[in-house]
Amino acid sequence: MSDGITLRDPTAEASGAMRPRVAPPASLAGVTVALLDIGKMRGDEFIDRLAMLLTERAIATRRFRKPTNTRTAPVETLQEIATTCSAVVIALSDCGSCTSCSTHDLNDLDRRGIPGVNVITEAFVEAFAGQTRAIGFAGASVVVAHPVQNRTTVELHAMAEAALPGVLAALGVVAAE
Amino acid sequence: MSHFTVFLKRDCATCQAVAPVIAELRARGLALIAWVQDDPGFYASLGAEDDTSLRASFLADVETVPTVVRDDGAKAEGWDRAAWEELTGQPDLGPGLPPFQPGCGSKTREPFVHEALAARFGPALLAARAIPLGAWDDDAEACFDRGWSDGLPVVPPTDARILRMLAGTKRLPNEIVGSIPPNLVPCTVEKVAINAVMAGCRPEYMPVLLAALEAALEPVFTLHGVTCSTCFSAPVIVVNGPIARRIGMNSGANALGQGNRANATIGRALNLIIRNVGGAVPGGIDQATLGGPHKVGFCFAEAEDDPTWQPLAQARGIAPGRSAVTLFQGEGIQGVIDWRSRTADELARSLALSLLAVGHWKLCEFFNAILVLAPEHHAIFRNAGWGRGEVEGALRAALRRPGRDLVAGAGGVGEGMATARAEDMVDKFWPEGLLVVRAGGAAGLYSAICAGWTGGRFRHESQPVTREIVA
Repeated sequence: MSDGITLRDPTAEASGAMRPRVAPPASLAGVTVALLDIGKMRGDEFIDRLAMLLTERAIATRRFRKPTNTRTAPVETLQEIATTCSAVVIALSDCGSCTSCSTHDLNDLDRRGIPGVNVITEAFVEAFAGQTRAIGFAGASVVVAHPVQNRTTVELHAMAEAALPGVLAALGVVAAE
Repeated sequence: MSHFTVFLKRDCATCQAVAPVIAELRARGLALIAWVQDDPGFYASLGAEDDTSLRASFLADVETVPTVVRDDGAKAEGWDRAAWEELTGQPDLGPGLPPFQPGCGSKTREPFVHEALAARFGPALLAARAIPLGAWDDDAEACFDRGWSDGLPVVPPTDARILRMLAGTKRLPNEIVGSIPPNLVPCTVEKVAINAVMAGCRPEYMPVLLAALEAALEPVFTLHGVTCSTCFSAPVIVVNGPIARRIGMNSGANALGQGNRANATIGRALNLIIRNVGGAVPGGIDQATLGGPHKVGFCFAEAEDDPTWQPLAQARGIAPGRSAVTLFQGEGIQGVIDWRSRTADELARSLALSLLAVGHWKLCEFFNAILVLAPEHHAIFRNAGWGRGEVEGALRAALRRPGRDLVAGAGGVGEGMATARAEDMVDKFWPEGLLVVRAGGAAGLYSAICAGWTGGRFRHESQPVTREIVA
């Protein structure tokens, strides 16, 4: 633990103190997008619909699931994503620990060269911003409505539909619709 | 009436000896505060104040305990009856004490302490953006996360470390050293120090690092191209002169390898500056196709323990007894093994064979190179009475070939010289393009070649640079 340590920026300070995220691929054609389920209840229903929407747009996806939302993803999972996919969508963070852990996962994958986006609920926008500041990583997020746990499946699917443009934009797809 | 401040430690026999004197001065009505650096409870009877943070001692710039300071700044250090009596205007102090007893060092002057206190309590000298970490953040990981590393761990650049590094140079933190390519960003001495901290430098390396950076920034060094090129190139630093021994550089066994802090960190610091200040991130603006381990840092000292060998810097115009850096646009090394040559002529021809491979066997007047002679190879030349001039002359002669063997297409190889050179005798290197250096362990009939970059083909546009090191 480095209680209260302050470092000095060794760079030209020409940009923000945050490390920019890896640029998304020029096109999602022919690449696979990882859909990382953080392991929180109800997130799978959101991802089910998101996967369907991406498939309808001829974007290949592959599902992954963390054993628990309360820890960062196992290294094996991150390695598997990094070696088989070209981008990642991490969903669905609707609590403090899952937002913190999923943001670390987003950062870890980014350092492995995999650009991604973290889907969080509106209640955790500040938590995500704080975590990215602490890491020094300008991670991307898409915000959906809060809460999640008391929704119907139909409502969760509608949330996925609402999130889709933001997800596609974060993955570098120029809106065509 | 004057006020007095006294600084004490428990861990100081003289401080303990003067405690009754302090009590006596109080009893005579003097206004007096006692600060204790280590154990204020020990001097509870004096109503001592707690200075375990060392703030008061630092701000009073105390060097010795006990020190008694009058509010006009006059002070007496240690126990010196006459000085204490004059300062306080009180007669007959410490009748049981000897007239004089030296004090102990202030805790503020212990190793590493002063800069840590300067960082906490001193004036704000640093201008670089402050990046506070969270209580549970790992400082080493934080540096990786922000992209400040060459892939190896860096020493986290805290204010205390940066201030300590800045003490290694007389230059001011806000002085601009130059603009660092590729982004051509002005770089202050402070940014140099921050990156030196991260690379693991000691403060005493700063003059070498600053000279290396300034040499690299001379236009004819072409650092911009060297850095962004698809080529293997990075700045290689050769250090000459007394500073190499002063800061403990390695010019002996494994001189080109790992294990010596100065060799390893000076070269690394230069590359971190180019990355962090200049913005040369590999795969980004640094477009090296393959790169090489030398891009982390490649810095060594020439072995100057044989007076018959003229050091590189002197051959390049630096006066004897002065220190200098020579910056070369180079890559990693190619070892040359010759266990059998017995005469200087044989060895020169043998080394030339390997030197011909620099860049490409058929490309001439295209690359510069460093040839590092290890002592056993050099001894063969020395025993023949050869100095630098004879070695360079024999190599040049052995590196001259008929153009017809070198032109494009000759030997069934498409690469090569322009066909117009077919009738010429062609030198491998420009006359000044081969830098011969002596370094290495006592045993081993070896030499090493550090090949230059493709920019060397522009003879007058891209050249090695030698620069004197000044404090």
